Amino acid sequence: MAINSKTRLEALFPQLSSSSYQIKSPATPQYNCIAWAAEEDDRWWEPVPVPGYYWPRRIPREVTLASLTMLFQRLGYRPGADETLEAGCEKIAIYADFSGAPTHVARQLANGKWTSKIGTLEDIEHDLEGLTLSDYGTVAQIMKRSA
Amino acid sequence: MAQTWRTEAAHRSFVTQMAMHPAYQRIIGLGPEVIPLILKELEREPAHWFWALYALTGEDPVPSKDRGKLDKMAQAWLKWGQEHGYQ
Repeated sequence: MAINSKTRLEALFPQLSSSSYQIKSPATPQYNCIAWAAEEDDRWWEPVPVPGYYWPRRIPREVTLASLTMLFQRLGYRPGADETLEAGCEKIAIYADFSGAPTHVARQLANGKWTSKIGTLEDIEHDLEGLTLSDYGTVAQIMKRSA
Repeated sequence: MAQTWRTEAAHRSFVTQMAMHPAYQRIIGLGPEVIPLILKELEREPAHWFWALYALTGEDPVPSKDRGKLDKMAQAWLKWGQEHGYQ
């Protein structure tokens, strides 16, 4: 992977440089972190109330923790989990900024690491803390479902 | 401005957040005269210009089955541009 990608990611997310992470895909604007957390990579899931974007029906079209929580509940996840790796469970983590507005979603992998699509950039495999103390803020909620 | 926006908003997870970038807002602020330039940019390299196009035109040319599919969204807007004399 090009050195420029790592330099850019570490500038955006300073915590990455002191943690273990790997770039796993080329940059693409075709899908975002919500799609990736929902295990899709061919469309952009967007709560913005502007026509043209995909968003599941009957989930409020707003960038709020409540809306994203409802979305992942629809996908079988339940709130109140922690970041540990649990046998038989799949987990997602929702990041939020200082105002509580969601900024990002990551999905836990079978090895306990987390996978994230970074905006229109690359997919990375990382620790949850690697994306904190940045525009993504902190982890606001972790949800889990049976695998 | 387009390049500034591409660089500085690339890590944002939602178009809602990308579109709030000052460069993106300045592009919308240029008014309908910028529509041909956006369509040309969309043709050159598909990106999330759809908020701007909707804000400038009030149109929604993307079929339901293609919602969220960037290349199809771009194609729908380029077709709309041709039909409205922009290319």
